[in-house]
Amino acid sequence: MKKMLKVFLMLPMICLSGCWSSIELNELAIVTAMGIDKTEDGYLVSVQVLNSSELAGDARSGRTEVVTFRKSGATIAEAIRSLSTDVPRRLYVAHLREIVFGEEMARAGIAKPLDVLSRQKELRSDFYMTVAKGATAYETLNVQTALEKIPANKVFDSLENSDKRWAATRTVTLDELVSSIVSKGRQAMLTGIYVYGDPESGSKVTNAQNISPKSGLRLDYLGVFKKDKLVGWLNRNDSKGVSYITDHIKSTAVNIPCEGEQITVNTTSSKTKIKGEVKNGNPKIDINVTSEGSIGEVECTIDLTKPEKIEELNKRYAKNIRDKIEGSIKTLQEKYQSDILGFGEEIHRTDPKAWKRLEGNWEQEFAKLDVNVTVTAKIRNLGTISDSFQKEIEE
Amino acid sequence: MKSRVPIPLRKLIEDKQSVKNKKQQESLNQSENPNSSKTKNQNQNPVTSQNRSKDSKNHQTKLISPDLQYNIDHIKKTLGNSSDIVIRDFQAGKNGEIKLGIVYTDGLTDSASIQDLILDTLMVEIRNSDLDVAVPDCFELIKSHTLPVGGIVEITDFQKLFNHVLSGDTMLLMDGSPKGLALGSRGWVDRGVQEPSSQTVVRGPKDGFTETLRTNTALIRRRIKDPNLWLETKQIGEKTQTDVAIMYLKGVANDKTVSELQSRLNRINIDAILESGYIEELIQDEVYTPFPTVYNTERPDAVAAAILEGRIAIMVDGTPFVLIVPALMVHFFQSSEDYYQRADIATLIRVLRYLSFFLALLTPSLYVAVSTFHQEMLPTPLLISLASQREGVPFPAFVEAMLMEVVFEILREAGVRMPRAIGSSISIVGALVIGQAAVEAGFVSATMVIIVSLTAISSFVFPANSMASAFRMLRFLFMILAATFGLYGIILGLIVMVLHLNSLRSFGLPYLAPNAPFILQDQKDNIIRMPHWSLLKRPRLISKNDTDRGDVSPPKPPR
Repeated sequence: MKKMLKVFLMLPMICLSGCWSSIELNELAIVTAMGIDKTEDGYLVSVQVLNSSELAGDARSGRTEVVTFRKSGATIAEAIRSLSTDVPRRLYVAHLREIVFGEEMARAGIAKPLDVLSRQKELRSDFYMTVAKGATAYETLNVQTALEKIPANKVFDSLENSDKRWAATRTVTLDELVSSIVSKGRQAMLTGIYVYGDPESGSKVTNAQNISPKSGLRLDYLGVFKKDKLVGWLNRNDSKGVSYITDHIKSTAVNIPCEGEQITVNTTSSKTKIKGEVKNGNPKIDINVTSEGSIGEVECTIDLTKPEKIEELNKRYAKNIRDKIEGSIKTLQEKYQSDILGFGEEIHRTDPKAWKRLEGNWEQEFAKLDVNVTVTAKIRNLGTISDSFQKEIEE
Repeated sequence: MKSRVPIPLRKLIEDKQSVKNKKQQESLNQSENPNSSKTKNQNQNPVTSQNRSKDSKNHQTKLISPDLQYNIDHIKKTLGNSSDIVIRDFQAGKNGEIKLGIVYTDGLTDSASIQDLILDTLMVEIRNSDLDVAVPDCFELIKSHTLPVGGIVEITDFQKLFNHVLSGDTMLLMDGSPKGLALGSRGWVDRGVQEPSSQTVVRGPKDGFTETLRTNTALIRRRIKDPNLWLETKQIGEKTQTDVAIMYLKGVANDKTVSELQSRLNRINIDAILESGYIEELIQDEVYTPFPTVYNTERPDAVAAAILEGRIAIMVDGTPFVLIVPALMVHFFQSSEDYYQRADIATLIRVLRYLSFFLALLTPSLYVAVSTFHQEMLPTPLLISLASQREGVPFPAFVEAMLMEVVFEILREAGVRMPRAIGSSISIVGALVIGQAAVEAGFVSATMVIIVSLTAISSFVFPANSMASAFRMLRFLFMILAATFGLYGIILGLIVMVLHLNSLRSFGLPYLAPNAPFILQDQKDNIIRMPHWSLLKRPRLISKNDTDRGDVSPPKPPR
């Protein structure tokens, strides 16, 4: 009897406690992208919230699939809280795909916003960080994208896709960004995104109805950071060079000259080994790249059946890669003095004692660092035809 | 047993006996009457019968009187002149001087055999013989010479008489003889051996148990022709006197389990046993558990296999469901077809069963937990599609899930109880009205319908219905836990469930064996079903006596 009484007393503890942290799916505003801009006295936070009934199911009413809200505040956390006056549901950031910093914000330094992002427990760290090139973050969150209904997903997927197939951009997650900002031997880099076309028509739902959208989001190349501040942008070749050096090439396309025309080689695999050493107090870096590819396009009348021609192409292929690598090192050393390549960390690994001495003025040391580049490149196959038929047309 | 009889009564009996013995002694001295030894037996009978049924009424223990007319009147009176009791008295013998009476229950007897073997013999053929009342001990002669009937039992008291008559035997009474003969003539309209409706197989025998105990025991005998296959029968139920038989392989079955089962059956003191479910509830180890610790099946092959493993079958007259003890949890996940199909597919199907066990138990609760507590666990596209379906649904996910599960249980119950002819309308109402219309009206999300159907289909995968019922009940408990604590609650619930399962015993065996305690040797027939040439040991805990099943080497191609 006493036991029964105990059970009855315990029962309300279970039942009355209620579902304290439960929240129904239709009470959530799923945030897929967040933009952070600098204002004069704080931040402007924009969030892109999903309108899930427009994305799936059959009760669509023709409204936009995503809605962007913005609110300013002295701190980011305050701005996010104050967004609740705009958004009728609880902002849910666990499914965030993308965070954009406005260029102004990035140039001013992103360390403070990164604090709130690292502190927030709801965030998963599988989203990518980007910088809005020449624009505010809000502008990039204000564009309807074609094909992918959720703009944040478009940026996310584009980043992954071009990271794999083009190699001139870079996917950077929150923890990677924070660790490279904190590290003394490595500087941060982020991919830039920008809005092309007319931003005004881009925000309309009709933008995605054009077969060739009037406006949209596009990825640019890498932005170079020094500490937490953006210092400038790399061009296409330099961005690719950076990817070669950091062993980040999964596949890409390389153009090599041939009889005044071009041959494109699809790099299918590339392996980079970096070796640092300190000789007589002078740091030195050896970069060894082994690249393999197949011929993707031939515009000249070269006879590909001859091994010596291929050998010649191999040399030019290697030279092209070396040029890119050396070009990007030159830009970074001379223009930005920013070691986004992680050479400092390599020196640290090979000679920790010397690194202690170099650490203090690594910026200057990096600028005059001696880098030796060796590239071995091989063309492995020619595709489904060997000789180009352009020769036959000309004859 | 004897001590139970009150002392005055015992004294009375002893006194009576001694008086009778004295009389017999005298008669023995007078003439060499072969009947005397029988009379002695007959006099001893009331002792045992009185001892056995202490509550039985006086008229039932009453002895059969030598007066035929009195006996017939008494039978008529006791049975209230029931119209299905046929009483026929006639004169037999050369001169028609032997007064005989037969009593049987119409409908429970095989009328052809009564006609041909009993009435024909006693009324027609007996006239050609010299049998007469004058012939000494003519009753004995009839028993041993005349009646071409297999089962003959001598009866001296009315309780046994009624028992036999009401079981379908024919009672032969003779004027002048204080005893009767129960002639085996049982035979009634029977469903016949049909395909079991509750456990169907694609490959394997299609015969199923029937409501007749004798048919059922025969179905097992046909499968195991071993003299060690022992069958013990007893009547349970004060009013129903239901035959309950236990069947086991002597020497393979654990003797302790057999005697434990016997003592548990002896302990039953109830007026009626109408189905084996009565026995199951009266002999199971743990009362307060949703999990069955006694297996029931309609399939003779499953029972035969269980007996060969050293388990014991309990057959109850009047039901095609035979009980098997001990029953471990793994047995409820095994189907007899597992052993008829090839080992590889049997293994995969067992894995499928374990998977559907978790699906049946946890799908609705996982949905509730993940969609209300752990949205971050879902991939984004899935979350979006779930969220879009939840738009406009007026209930919280838990209420929605509860609602749909209850509706499903109602539909299911209705489908089972409904007359066959209108059964199909249930599926239309269920599928169209509840499923489609509710989603279109926005009362429930389409996901919920998918979840409920998945749960329902998974719960039908179980070969044993009793285990599926356990999960049916627990599913709701898990849903409440999920709605209160999320995944944390589900895990807590699972831990408690496993603890509870661990505490269960079926006739002394740990319910989770061979998983807990882990028995390596028995893993060959657990989740994995190894080929038969590898299954050469009986399950370790069940039978300890004769563990070897044979000695076969794996088949090899000829050299």
